[in-house]
Amino acid sequence: MIPAEGTSGPRPGGDTAGLLFAAEMYGVQLDHLAVALGVTEARARRIAAGWRARRYAESARLGPGGPWTWLTKAGLAACGLPYAAAPPALGRLAHIRAVVAVRLALESAPRYAAADGYWRSERRLRARMGGRVGLRQHIPDGEVHWPDDAPVPWAGECWAVEAELTPKTTTRTVAIMQELLTRTGDYGCPAAEIRAAGPPRHTRVVYLCAPPAWPTVARARAALGAAGARVEIRHLPPGAAMAPAGGTS
Amino acid sequence: MTGRGSGPALARAAVRTVRLLAIVVAAALIIAAAPVSLVAGASAALAWLRGWPPGRLYRAALYCVPMVVVWLAAIAVATRSAFDVAAAPQAAWLAMWHRGAAGSYAQAAAAIAPAAIPVGLAAGGLAWSYRIRSMDTGTGGLAPDSAVAFDLRQWRHQARSARARIAAPGAVPLTTRSGDLVAGAVIRVVGHPARPIASIPYARMRSHQVVVGTTGTGKTTLLLRLWAGFMATALRRHAAGQGRLPLLVVLDCKGGADARRIADRARRVLRLAGARSTAIWPDEASLSLWALPPAQLTSTLVDLIEHGTGAAAYYADVMEAVVGLAVMAPGGPPASAAEFLARLDPGWLTAAYSPGAYPSGEHEAELALVRSASRQIGDIALRFRTLLRRLGGGLDGPGGFGDADAWYCILEGTAEISVAEAQARALVDLLASFAVGGQAGGGREILLAVDEFSAVSRRLPVWQLYERARSLGLAVQVSAQSWPGLAADDDERYRIAAAADGGVWLLRTPYPEPVAALAGTRKVTDTERPLIRTLVWSHRGTSRVRRAPAVDPDLVRALDVGQAAYIYRGGVTYVQVKRLVTAPAALPPPSAGPAPRPAAAPPAATRPPRPLPDASPLLDEAFGTEPAP
Repeated sequence: MIPAEGTSGPRPGGDTAGLLFAAEMYGVQLDHLAVALGVTEARARRIAAGWRARRYAESARLGPGGPWTWLTKAGLAACGLPYAAAPPALGRLAHIRAVVAVRLALESAPRYAAADGYWRSERRLRARMGGRVGLRQHIPDGEVHWPDDAPVPWAGECWAVEAELTPKTTTRTVAIMQELLTRTGDYGCPAAEIRAAGPPRHTRVVYLCAPPAWPTVARARAALGAAGARVEIRHLPPGAAMAPAGGTS
Repeated sequence: MTGRGSGPALARAAVRTVRLLAIVVAAALIIAAAPVSLVAGASAALAWLRGWPPGRLYRAALYCVPMVVVWLAAIAVATRSAFDVAAAPQAAWLAMWHRGAAGSYAQAAAAIAPAAIPVGLAAGGLAWSYRIRSMDTGTGGLAPDSAVAFDLRQWRHQARSARARIAAPGAVPLTTRSGDLVAGAVIRVVGHPARPIASIPYARMRSHQVVVGTTGTGKTTLLLRLWAGFMATALRRHAAGQGRLPLLVVLDCKGGADARRIADRARRVLRLAGARSTAIWPDEASLSLWALPPAQLTSTLVDLIEHGTGAAAYYADVMEAVVGLAVMAPGGPPASAAEFLARLDPGWLTAAYSPGAYPSGEHEAELALVRSASRQIGDIALRFRTLLRRLGGGLDGPGGFGDADAWYCILEGTAEISVAEAQARALVDLLASFAVGGQAGGGREILLAVDEFSAVSRRLPVWQLYERARSLGLAVQVSAQSWPGLAADDDERYRIAAAADGGVWLLRTPYPEPVAALAGTRKVTDTERPLIRTLVWSHRGTSRVRRAPAVDPDLVRALDVGQAAYIYRGGVTYVQVKRLVTAPAALPPPSAGPAPRPAAAPPAATRPPRPLPDASPLLDEAFGTEPAP
């Protein structure tokens, strides 16, 4: 770790949580960062500026809407995360934003907080694959783990979360659903841990869909038959879409 | 002079007249039987264009029999006269001419169709068969090279039809209803039954096979199809209680990025074929060398180290003794590389066999051995430390072949030959141990597919692998880019090819002669006849029967991408291989045989889902309710 001059690391509390949040989600746009930190956008902008000053983060206006903030190598090292530092890919901005919105919406639900659910990001799952991602077929946009002793009926479950902005083919969507529903081992685990007849890793798959993707996902779920009962479909939460070009920041 | 010369001239004139008369009669018959002639001509032309065998036209004629029966039955019901039924073809023929003369061409065609179509198809088949035979024997065609041009043109037509067939959705399923594996569409057969689809019985996948083809000829596509077919059929047989669970083990002995791409494709197609898990070794999965039975483990560990000859043989004996002491120690065999290396120490071995824990004299011989080998134990430990480090964690567990339905093992035979050789040796030993049930979960129907095994076969010759596999009930599929790539020397190559009782797949390769020769020869007729003048052949000539290779090496050399020759029992089927895509494989509908029993452990997705607790409150809270469709 090479902290900036005059600093020794991220400050505890929300500052650190914000850094971790931005790191896990590849990057985060200013309005979402404000929601994640529970502060106003102006305050979030100052916090991001502080991260930049300490060389933990970079900010730039990558697309429509507010500026994006992502962690530098030093920032990731400060957080102890073994990810490769890179700005969010331009082609994935809309998707990343949608996933961030899904996570924020989920974490804002009182039942989620009460159950102490844990969001395991796609970036973390990919990191577990150790550079062998190409050999896997599909990685969900996130996993939600529910502790065994959580005061909710679905305690102990692991959910796969998918954000769908644009429709894939039904065949491909069915294949993805089947893979998620039949997977038994963790991502990046040795094959020996994958038990052919073991319990599925993902108790259910939650699809958050933009209106154009909804019919395809619904058809794919119907095509699964009885296993389709383990697929939940909802609309993407408000704020998941990219602001139109020229919109306010 | 005039009298002597007029005889032959008159004879020639008479012959010409008879020929002319025959032509006129034939033309009259063709015109009189115009509907039959039209169908025959069209069907023969279609067969020529599509490269069909005559049998296809005969079958089409047979398929028309129900139509003829219905037609005759309708006449019998309408007229209640057997004579009218017998005279129906003639009546139809007359009706056709009358209606045709009246300008009702559609009615004329309808009147004669039930009689003309089957007869025309059969006549077309006969004409097409005559044409093929005359070209095969060299008696047909106008130009000297007609037979060659005919054959080449027919190959193009046949290949085009086969490509069209594999492009048609659902026309080429992964397996047939009877459980045969489908490789693709048939282009041409020699000595095999002519069928539109190239399929091989599952039993041949349980026998040894050889696949030879250079890079970029579709070898991987063929192999993936065979593997997926093996997996799908074996799983179905297992579900029906007719066989054991399958296990596919692929040893890719080249390594590199290509191997990883193929592994990815293999995983995808195998998943579509029903495999629930495909392990990729050593990238994503590991095996435990230490799960081998102690005696086998000792032998394998010793074989992993290269030995010299002469004085080095003494060193090899010492090494074997020390490794045996470490593995067979009273506490049980080592469970990891670290534990094994820790045992290669005089102090550890002495303590393990010390008399304190055992009745006096029980391990005296072992202790004496430790004392006499104590000077070499350090060197032995050093060699094994280096070897096990280079082998990596792939063989240090946990895991076994029973953990997945398919294993794709990547050996870096190009980059690190010595390491790959050792890995190959260890993997084969592990598989052999698994096959005999040494590990839990044995008793599987195993197909071992090895690609370019000769690159790593210095310590385990392929023929030895064949022999071991045969004794263990494994099927081995050896693939190579060329004949020399099959094995180290010709003896070994012929040994492998001759043992391929499941057939040989030959794709384009620059030197196919040795493999092509395995198909043997067939009888062909050659005809020699003099060319009198341009486009006019004499009617006199000689024919002789000779033996020609069943597989034409030049044809194999010219095979296109995705085309393969399947050699089996003295015949060959040229196949246009159907590529498996990541879309669900086209499986045929279930046969009408006995209903398959559910598998012992159905995949999680097909298991009846247990009622899940309702998570709607949370999801509704976070994202709103699920709208109605």
